[in-house]
Amino acid sequence: MTFGDILKESWLSISGNKLRSFLTVLGIIIGVMAVVIMVAVGETVQQSISDQFSSLGTNTIVIRAGAARRGGIRSGNRNTLTIQDAEQINRLPDVAAITPVQSSNAQVIYGNKNWSTLMLGAHPDYTTIQDIEVEYGNFFDMNAVKSAATYAVIGPDTARELGLPENPVGEIIRIQNMPFVIIGVMKARGDSTMGSQDDMILIPITTLKKRLQGSPFPDSVTMIALKIFQDADNAVVTDQISALLRQRHRLKDGDEDDFQVTDMKQIMETMNTVTGYLKLLLIAIAAVSLLVGSIGIMNMMLVSVVERTREIGIRKAVGARENIIIIQFLSESVLISFIGSMFGLVFGVGLSQGVGRFILHYNVPFSFWPVLLSVTVAIVVGLASGVMPAIKAAKLNPIDSLRYE
Amino acid sequence: MTPAIISLNKICKIFPLEIGGEQQVLFDITFKINSGEFVAIMGPSGSGKSTCMNIIGALDSATSGIYELYGKHIKTMTNDELATIRNEYIGFVFQNFNLLPKRTVIDNVMLPLMYRGWVMNDRIRRAREMLKLVGLSNFESYLPTQLSGGMKQRVAIARALAGNPKLILADEPTGSLDSKMGNEILNFFKKLNKDLGITIVMITHEFEIAQYAGRIIHIYDGHITFDGPVPKNESVLLKSEQDYKK
Repeated sequence: MTFGDILKESWLSISGNKLRSFLTVLGIIIGVMAVVIMVAVGETVQQSISDQFSSLGTNTIVIRAGAARRGGIRSGNRNTLTIQDAEQINRLPDVAAITPVQSSNAQVIYGNKNWSTLMLGAHPDYTTIQDIEVEYGNFFDMNAVKSAATYAVIGPDTARELGLPENPVGEIIRIQNMPFVIIGVMKARGDSTMGSQDDMILIPITTLKKRLQGSPFPDSVTMIALKIFQDADNAVVTDQISALLRQRHRLKDGDEDDFQVTDMKQIMETMNTVTGYLKLLLIAIAAVSLLVGSIGIMNMMLVSVVERTREIGIRKAVGARENIIIIQFLSESVLISFIGSMFGLVFGVGLSQGVGRFILHYNVPFSFWPVLLSVTVAIVVGLASGVMPAIKAAKLNPIDSLRYE
Repeated sequence: MTPAIISLNKICKIFPLEIGGEQQVLFDITFKINSGEFVAIMGPSGSGKSTCMNIIGALDSATSGIYELYGKHIKTMTNDELATIRNEYIGFVFQNFNLLPKRTVIDNVMLPLMYRGWVMNDRIRRAREMLKLVGLSNFESYLPTQLSGGMKQRVAIARALAGNPKLILADEPTGSLDSKMGNEILNFFKKLNKDLGITIVMITHEFEIAQYAGRIIHIYDGHITFDGPVPKNESVLLKSEQDYKK
């Protein structure tokens, strides 16, 4: 009996009962489709988070002020960081770029348009640290910081909301009634997990602290962001920063830090672990439907053995050996699985890519491994589902089978 | 003297009963069949003749006794060896045809050749020869359900002959056919036996059908009551039954 004979016999048996075979195949289609879609969803989430962190840079470290505890209660946002802290940290050998950051909400007016947005005061290095590029104009330089110039670089969404012309460089906007000259417009960067990155205004930190806020502590800041060299070790630099700040803030042994150092690489690794588990969970849920599908095959094959008892008897009477009967039944279950997995694969990939591209407008990553996994699982599921019915068929007594009504 | 191809020596068969206990259906059955013989195993319903045929056809095994087919001890063989014996030496013709209903006529005829490992072209050529022999050349792509009873039995005969067997075992081959079609099939068996020298063992409960054979083995209640050339009338067989009862 050749491989072609086995395929032909299997196909004829499967196609001999179209509706039942279709319903059994449907179980596998749904199972494989679920696995493929769940893998795509998991990978999309992982990719999306990874992209966002990559845009921030894994060599980025953020220091936030005010994480001290008082009486066991974590305090709010105490401005324990200063511009001088940033200057000292900048002296560490692995620091490539650094900026103090002060954030605030701002009411911005242009003509008769009014828009509330996030305003950040920073140094020019902010562009390096956050990978910000300008579409029009330029970013402000350190001279503007030193002179507390009323320059603003605005996000494209903010420009749109204010009804500014396409190239608004040179236009005057009012921020809390103070006129600012737009010297640059950022390139669109899309949304991040922290919200829109395109709706914000960047101004020199000195302008924000001294002119807009009139702060009695013009050197205190809420955050310091820095980028370290690619070959630097995040953990080492984080330790150096903590040690330096504890020394500068005169914290004693046993005192808790009055700042928080957040290492983006560490966060990304944690997020990757979390999304990895999420992906596994999704696959596990989908695998249940595949398991149900395989039980469907086993059920169909067991029914088939009973229905085809006489056929098995005839085949044995004319010379079919037990292993041939086993191979025939196994090949039927594998063929059903294989057909189901191929359709499941096509529908799963088509649906995930289609929904991703045309509805979510996101390039869903396509991995080869779900394809390999599905085909492998199909063969294993088919074999596993068919083993019991095939052995049952092979062990049938030819005489009893021929007498079966 | 032609060699014995079938040799049964003190064959007994005991079946376990579902309700418990057991029932013996064959008692010390002993006979030989030589190559080229046309033998009818005859007896009333429940006499054990079909059980006897199943043992001869290697479809079932004896509880005790020695059965040799072409000098091979059947009892010591594995299931796969028995399957090979059936495939190479025996062609079966059943009362209810036992064709695969969802396979075409030619697929049914080719079935034993597939299990023998023949390549497709050889299978097709041989199956067409056999269909021509039984007069069904124009029906090779038909399904068995599209054929009459006589045609189905001829397909079954073509399948039995396809593997060029030395022995044909026919279990009530005319049981599902009308008398005209039955006679046609029996004449065909006679022709196969005479022209091709194929040994034929036929199970029947009708004396008229057994008369087509050259020898009758009459079984009654699991015992052989008559073994010899076909008598002129059935009374000889009925008398053998009466003698056994005494």
